[in-house]
Amino acid sequence: MRGRRLAVVAACAALLVAAAMASLAAGSRGIAPGHVVDALLRPDGGEESAIVRSMRLPRTVTGLAVGAGLALAGVLMQALTRNPLAEPRLMGVTSGASLGVVVAISVFGLTTLPAYVWFGIAGAAVSGTFVYALAARTRDGASPVTLALAGTALDASLTGVVVGVLTVNAQTFDTYRFWAVGSLAGRPAEVALWVLPFVAAGAVLAFAAARGLDAVALGDDVARGLGRDVGRVRLLAAVAAVVLTGAAVAAAGPIGFVGLAVPHLARGLVGADHRWVLAVSLLLGPALLLVADVLGRLVVPPAEVRAGVVTALLGAPFLILLVRRGRTVTA
Amino acid sequence: MNPAKTAHPAAGRLVVGRGTVAFVVRRRSAVVGAVLVVLTAVAAVVSLGVGSTFVAPPDVLRALAGDGPFTVVVQNLRLPRITVGLAVGALLGLSGALLQSISRNPLAGPDVVGVTQGAGLAATFAMTAGLGTVWLGAGALLGGLAAAAAVFVLSFRYGLAAHRFVLCGIAVALAVRALTEVIIVSGDPMEGQRAQVWLAGSLAGLGYAEARVLLVPLLVLLPVLLWAGRAMDTTALDDDVARGLGVRVVGRRVALGAVAVLLAALATSQAGAVDFVALAAPQLARRLVRAERPPLACAALTGALLTVVADLVARTAFAPVQLPVGVLTAALGGPYLLWLLVRRKKA
Repeated sequence: MRGRRLAVVAACAALLVAAAMASLAAGSRGIAPGHVVDALLRPDGGEESAIVRSMRLPRTVTGLAVGAGLALAGVLMQALTRNPLAEPRLMGVTSGASLGVVVAISVFGLTTLPAYVWFGIAGAAVSGTFVYALAARTRDGASPVTLALAGTALDASLTGVVVGVLTVNAQTFDTYRFWAVGSLAGRPAEVALWVLPFVAAGAVLAFAAARGLDAVALGDDVARGLGRDVGRVRLLAAVAAVVLTGAAVAAAGPIGFVGLAVPHLARGLVGADHRWVLAVSLLLGPALLLVADVLGRLVVPPAEVRAGVVTALLGAPFLILLVRRGRTVTA
Repeated sequence: MNPAKTAHPAAGRLVVGRGTVAFVVRRRSAVVGAVLVVLTAVAAVVSLGVGSTFVAPPDVLRALAGDGPFTVVVQNLRLPRITVGLAVGALLGLSGALLQSISRNPLAGPDVVGVTQGAGLAATFAMTAGLGTVWLGAGALLGGLAAAAAVFVLSFRYGLAAHRFVLCGIAVALAVRALTEVIIVSGDPMEGQRAQVWLAGSLAGLGYAEARVLLVPLLVLLPVLLWAGRAMDTTALDDDVARGLGVRVVGRRVALGAVAVLLAALATSQAGAVDFVALAAPQLARRLVRAERPPLACAALTGALLTVVADLVARTAFAPVQLPVGVLTAALGGPYLLWLLVRRKKA
C-alpha cells in the first residue's frame, strides 16, 4: 500500500511539473520547452525570456498557490461536513470571499493586496459558517442536496450583491474587475508572493488536522473514544479551509470544482487516509488548475477563457457522475 | 356564459361552470386572488408615476385615459415596460408553480434546474452570431427546453429521485453558464457586452413587441393551464394512488413539466434571467391561499406583483443608476431560498 501510494505521489508530482511547463510554454506565443528552461535558468534579456519571466512565471506561481489552496480546502470541507459535495464554490464560500474583497474596495477604500487577502478570508469565514449552520438547522441536516442548495442560494444572492455594488459604484468596478473574476491572467508577481504564505500556513494546519480528521470520519463518538479532541480537530480544519479559500479567492476570484474533483480523485488513488489525500491533492489541485488555465488560453485564440470557466466545464460532468453514482450521494 | 355557482358540500368552496368545464374554486383563493389583483394594479400605477419625472397617481390614471400633460410619459415610455414586467412575472410564477407541483418540491424552479441558463446560452449564441431578435426568442425557447431535457435525462436512473434532479440541475446550470461565457469571450466584444447586459435580466427598453411575444402564447396556453390546474390535483397524490385512479402519472408529469419549461423559457427569451421570481411567487401564493400545492392563478398574480415591485425598486433605489431587475431579485431571492431550506425543518 505504501509503495503504491508513493508511486501515485511521484506520478502526480510529474504531472504537476508537466502542467507547470505547459503553463510557461503555451499562450498566444508558443515557446519551446527548451527555451523556457533557458529563460528560467539563463535569462538572456530577449523577448522570450521576458515573456516567460515577467508574464507567465507569476501566472503559473499564482496558479500553483490557488490550485493547492482550493484542493486542500475541498478535502477539509468534505471531511468536516462528511459531505461528498462540499466544495468552496458549491458551498458559496468563494462568493463570500469575493464579497469580502468588494467590501474592502467599496466601503473601506482599500486597494492593497494584503487588504484583499484579509477581507477575502473574513468573507470566506462568514459565508462558510453561515451556510453550514443554516444547512445543519434544516430537516435533513447537512445532506448533500441541502448543502448544495444552500450554497447555490448564498452564491446567487452574494453574486447579486456584488454585481449590484459594481453597477452602482463605477470606481469599485474598475478596481475590482481585474481581481475577482476567476482568472489567473494578468496577476503581477506580488500576488503570488502575498498569497503563498497564506496557502502554506493553511496547508500546515490541514496536515496537522489530518490524523484527527481520519478519526472524525468514523463519527464524533468514535473519534472521542479514540482520544481525539473533536472540537479542536474541527476548529483546526475549519480555520485552515477558510484561510485557504480566502487566500485563493483574493488571488484569482471564485473558481469552482477544483475543490470538488481533486479530493475525490485523490481518495480514489490513495484511499481515505487524510495525510495521503492531502498530499496528493496538494499536487493534483495546482496541476488541474494550470491545465484548465492553459486550455483557456488555447481554445478561442486570440481571446482567453478564464480558468474558472474551464474548471466549471470540466467539473460539471464530474459532479453529474458523482450524483449518478448513487452510493456517493444519497438524498 | 353565465357560470352557475352552487354551494359545494365542502365548506368554503364554490363550483364554477357545469359538466366537463366545472372548476372547484376555494373561497379563500378567490379572495386572495382579488386582493392580489388590486395590489398589482396599485403597484403598477405607482411604478407608472415614479421615474425621472414624477407623476402623482391621480394624474397617472388620467394619463392612462389619454388625458392630461403626462400622457406621453405614462403611455409611451413607462406603460410598455410595466406591461412586459407583469407578463414576465406571471409566466415565471406559473412556471414555478407547475414545476413545484410536479416535483413536489418547494425548491424547484426554472433557474434551479437550468432552464434560465439554457435559454441564456442559446440567446447569447443567437446574439453573437448576429441572428436577430426573431431567433433570440426562438433560440431561447429551444435552449431552455434542451437544458431541461438534459437535466431530466442525466438525472434519470431507476426513476427520477428528487435529490438527483436538483443536483444535476445545479451542475447543468453551472456548465451552461460557463459555455455562455466561452461564447461571449470568443465573439465580437460589442455583441458580447450586449449579451451580458441582457443576461443580467432587465426590463429596460422593452415594449409592446416583447409583451405580445409573451402574452399571445399565454392566451394560447390558457386552456392547457386550466387543464393543468385540475391535473395537478391528481399529480400531487401518491404515485400509486394516482395510478389506481387511472392517471398516467409519468406522461402527465412530463406534459406539465414541458409547459412549465416553455413558460420560463419564453419569459427569459424576452427579459433575460430574472432569478428567483419563479421560486418565490408560487410559495408565497401557496401560503396566502393556505393550500397544499401552489395555486396557478394566484402564483401568476404574485409573480407579476413581485416583478413590478422589484423593477420599481431596482430602477429608482440607486438613481441615477438603474440596476437590472434580475440583479435585485437574485440578491433578495437567495436569502428567501435559504429561509425556505431552514423552514423545511418544521415541515
